[in-house]
Amino acid sequence: MAGKTPIPTSNSALIAMIADEDTITGFLLAGVGNVDLRRKTNYLIVDSKTTVKAIEEAFKEFTAKEDIAIVLISQYIANMIRFLVDSYNKPIPAILEIPSKDHPYDAAHDSVLSRVKYLFSSDSVASERR
Amino acid sequence: MYWKNILGVVQNKRTWCNLSKISMENEEENQPISEEIVLQFLDSTDNYITLMESLSSSLRQGWLELASARLSMGTSRVTSTLFDLNMHPAVTTLQVAPLDGESLSQDIMGRQSRFSLRKWASFNEERCSKDTEASEDLQMESNQQLHRHGSHHISANRSHASLSEEPAEARLASSESLTTIDEQVNKERSKSLSVFGTLVSPKLRAAQLSFETAMETLVEIANMRSLMLSAYAQIQQDKDKTQ
Repeated sequence: MAGKTPIPTSNSALIAMIADEDTITGFLLAGVGNVDLRRKTNYLIVDSKTTVKAIEEAFKEFTAKEDIAIVLISQYIANMIRFLVDSYNKPIPAILEIPSKDHPYDAAHDSVLSRVKYLFSSDSVASERR
Repeated sequence: MYWKNILGVVQNKRTWCNLSKISMENEEENQPISEEIVLQFLDSTDNYITLMESLSSSLRQGWLELASARLSMGTSRVTSTLFDLNMHPAVTTLQVAPLDGESLSQDIMGRQSRFSLRKWASFNEERCSKDTEASEDLQMESNQQLHRHGSHHISANRSHASLSEEPAEARLASSESLTTIDEQVNKERSKSLSVFGTLVSPKLRAAQLSFETAMETLVEIANMRSLMLSAYAQIQQDKDKTQ
């Protein structure tokens, strides 16, 4: 039986971010930044020198932490690790793909909308009935 | 554009008939997919897309203000190298609570959660989260009360004051405590800005407010996402039962 793991309740969960410098700067101004005892931050600034592996590791780290409830990721960065984002299968933390300065939001690539897209296909019901 | 077209299709009779056919087939087997669930799914999808557009707008505003601040203060004063890497907790956090007591869906992604934003929570975390939302309403009430006091004649004031003295005092006391909370919130905002120096551009303050608005929108998006996935999982479950 799947899905018997309880959703954790939290009174002060964090918001993690994987985005460009300006987006991170803005959200840190809003008070979202957290640095723990080991000087680990709840954000990763992605620039031209950031490798895909570093992004993957940050994504895996943030989604594995119990004190993080939402992971914000710029959509163009999510596209770099699309397989990982689309195969993510937990309700918490929630993965939210956000636009960036140079890459506007594209609903066609959103992992959440992709998941539910097929319900709008007129073929889906017809094919199942055959 | 694709999703706007899809939403147009949703209102199209043919798509609605497809979803209704599922409902009718299931009704024949006494296992109806609730039309309410289908509506919930469609509404939450629509809201999700609308909120994303709102978020894009807030973020664009914030980026523009940040760029203006960088122009007025200098590039070296608004940069990630100035971020505080000493241990400090986040002052804006989230409260998460699951909504289904017993799991209605076997799909873990279909389990609904409620996200609440707790902005600028500092020493008095509980008061900030409970009172900040009510502070604007109570301040408006106290302002209106003071305005009414000021516009009456002296005799009317005396009689009015004698009748409403106690509630006015209580309201003033609560508005004073809310003022204290507002001061704490402003203190936290200033602390956040102080990373970039003592005197900062008004544009940076404006950017801070824009990103706060974006954060509120993001929390609503997270709630819509949860609702959408929950409704989707229920529809899927009901469809699977009919096969």
